[in-house]
Amino acid sequence: MIEEKDIIIVDEPDLSTTEKLYLPQVVQGLRTTFKHLFKKNITVQYPEVKREQRVENYRGVHRLNRDEKDRVACVACFMCQTACPANCIHIVAGESPWEDREKYPVQFDLDELRCIYCGMCEEACPVDAIELTPEYDIVGRSREEMVFDKEKLLAVFERTKDVKPRKNPRITGYAGTGDREQSSGNTEGEG
Amino acid sequence: MPKIIIDGTEIEARDGVPVLQAALESGLDIPHYCYHPGLSIVASCRLCLMEMKLPHPQTKEMGWAPKLFPSCQTPVREGMEVRFGTEKVEANQKTCMEYFLLNHPLDCPVCDQAGECHLQDYSYKFGSAESRMYEQKQVNPKKDIGPKTLLYSDRCVMCTRCVRFANEVAGTGELCVTNRGGRAEIDVFPGVPLDNGMQGNVVDICPVGALLDKDFMFKQRVWFLKGGDSICPGCSTGCAIRVDSNENVVHRLKPRFNPGVNDWWMCDAGRFDFKYVHDVKRIAKPRLRRGQESDTPDWSEIPDIVRYRFEQHIARRGGASVAVVLSPMMANEEAWLLATYIRSLAPEATLLLGHVPIEGEDERYPVGCNDDDAKFTINNEKCPNRRGVEMLIEQLGGSTCAFEVFAKKCADGEFTAAWVVGGYPKGWPTKDLTKSVKKCELLVAQDIFENELTGEAEIVLPACAWVERDGSFTNAGGKIQPFERAIDPIQGARRDGQYLFEIAGNEGLYSGERVREMMADKMAAYANVAEAPLKPAHQH
Repeated sequence: MIEEKDIIIVDEPDLSTTEKLYLPQVVQGLRTTFKHLFKKNITVQYPEVKREQRVENYRGVHRLNRDEKDRVACVACFMCQTACPANCIHIVAGESPWEDREKYPVQFDLDELRCIYCGMCEEACPVDAIELTPEYDIVGRSREEMVFDKEKLLAVFERTKDVKPRKNPRITGYAGTGDREQSSGNTEGEG
Repeated sequence: MPKIIIDGTEIEARDGVPVLQAALESGLDIPHYCYHPGLSIVASCRLCLMEMKLPHPQTKEMGWAPKLFPSCQTPVREGMEVRFGTEKVEANQKTCMEYFLLNHPLDCPVCDQAGECHLQDYSYKFGSAESRMYEQKQVNPKKDIGPKTLLYSDRCVMCTRCVRFANEVAGTGELCVTNRGGRAEIDVFPGVPLDNGMQGNVVDICPVGALLDKDFMFKQRVWFLKGGDSICPGCSTGCAIRVDSNENVVHRLKPRFNPGVNDWWMCDAGRFDFKYVHDVKRIAKPRLRRGQESDTPDWSEIPDIVRYRFEQHIARRGGASVAVVLSPMMANEEAWLLATYIRSLAPEATLLLGHVPIEGEDERYPVGCNDDDAKFTINNEKCPNRRGVEMLIEQLGGSTCAFEVFAKKCADGEFTAAWVVGGYPKGWPTKDLTKSVKKCELLVAQDIFENELTGEAEIVLPACAWVERDGSFTNAGGKIQPFERAIDPIQGARRDGQYLFEIAGNEGLYSGERVREMMADKMAAYANVAEAPLKPAHQH
């Protein structure tokens, strides 16, 4: 409820005769326009010309990283799905076929249309498996095509791993002996 | 009711309970692992230690004793004074937590217990953020200890609740502790897997993620689940359960504390036999026979169609030709709505209790105990509401008969209109029944699956699974227990209560409570059903 004391009434400013003509303002505006005619263009002819990547942490299409043994790095912990404010991630977990790993994603669907590219999934991932890449020009002919599955997300990793290499995942806050291999987490310290 | 002083505040405790239980019931959050009110006390986890006032050995003057006492093993006494909020107690909790976490793996992201894990909660509340352990952690093996349960012994905190459960409640004693000290592990005896009718409870009472349910394994993270307070329909014991679902899919059932009925436990049959809820073969739409044609009418047409057909039939054959078979799978409210509706059309109509599935004998736990010492009973009546429907038919009075007589009378042409409610997950209907009932001119079948009976019926109404309905069941002991809806009915279907509510001529939304109020006006037994809130006296 808005109270009376919170309402401020602003009067219309009084204009002088010259101001009422509006001519000085028109001239002023046109001056800005003509000034820009002689300046260097800041727009580019997309898609022939592509803009340079300006920031390293640009939040474009997602990728699912592969680990050093070329397996999908995701451990299906659902942290990204939990953190996602747009509810665009859908994971089906299963028992992993590998000895050193408990779970892996049998299915990993990410709706690129529903996503708001906030990067919370990347923040939440404990093994740095999901990352946002500098790639932004994704297209599709249908909504279904824009729901990226595991294979598609891994393909994005193949495409972008040279531009943005995978970080070496390290569990933070571990006051241990430094470099120890992080695999299943079974041998790691407390958080 | 002894009065005790905890941290300077006087509280009233129940007679004979440990201080820990009294503290928990008064709302304090005291960390504990090994203590469970349904099991014997071992005081082995040492997390619940407290300070206590004792008389000095020489001067007899009351003062704080220098040592700490396990609050789970100290019964309450009138006027006793204890405290938890001191430096000494907190230092003990911190140290204990550090020990528990020494070898515990940091695999919370892939552990199914995460989110409802008391190691997580306590290390957050009472533990320390960093580990000082820099040795290699001891990695214990994962063990397949039974057909339904897995043991991750590296996550275990050795509270031995599961061992005590197997010994004291299940009475089968498959679990044991092997090795000693830091190398102690939970294990099964060689060749004897954990396989009894109650074993699912060890997963519930495990405060950490050491014991896991294979059925629920990796299915969902627990924080996605929504719990609906329900009653198990598996047998007439009527265990209070929680239905955990996400996005309209039931993922698991857990027991709720329900003193005198199921206490903290539930059986495996009830726990795992809910899969039929998501069977694709379920009836989803009402169906109607018009001459030779089969038609799927809109729900809004159903009340008029049903009324018209029954009125026509009664005008032709008389009210005594109508019989209503009330299934013991129905809730009291639904049975009442249907029974009173038919009686309003034909006061001389027959109401009867449907098929009651019986399997073997009552199973009592601990295995081999006397009937009086049983801690848990699995009833041989595999339906939730036989007693409730019987009570209802008795209260409403009028014509009734046994289920076998009904079939015979149908065959003899005495009943020419029947409303048969099924809803059984399996074993229904028998061939003989179908043969006699199909002689009826007007047959309404209300069922969950397509069967011979629904094939013969004039009107088929989909029955919903109990997780989709709300109402109340009356258990074998005569206790009326309300349950609430956990998920929505399958696409196209409506809750039984809702369409019966509409058929009976009411407007608006059905709710168990609303119908119970209507029932309570006529039958005093249903007046105070909702006034028995089940408050957990224990946190995990």
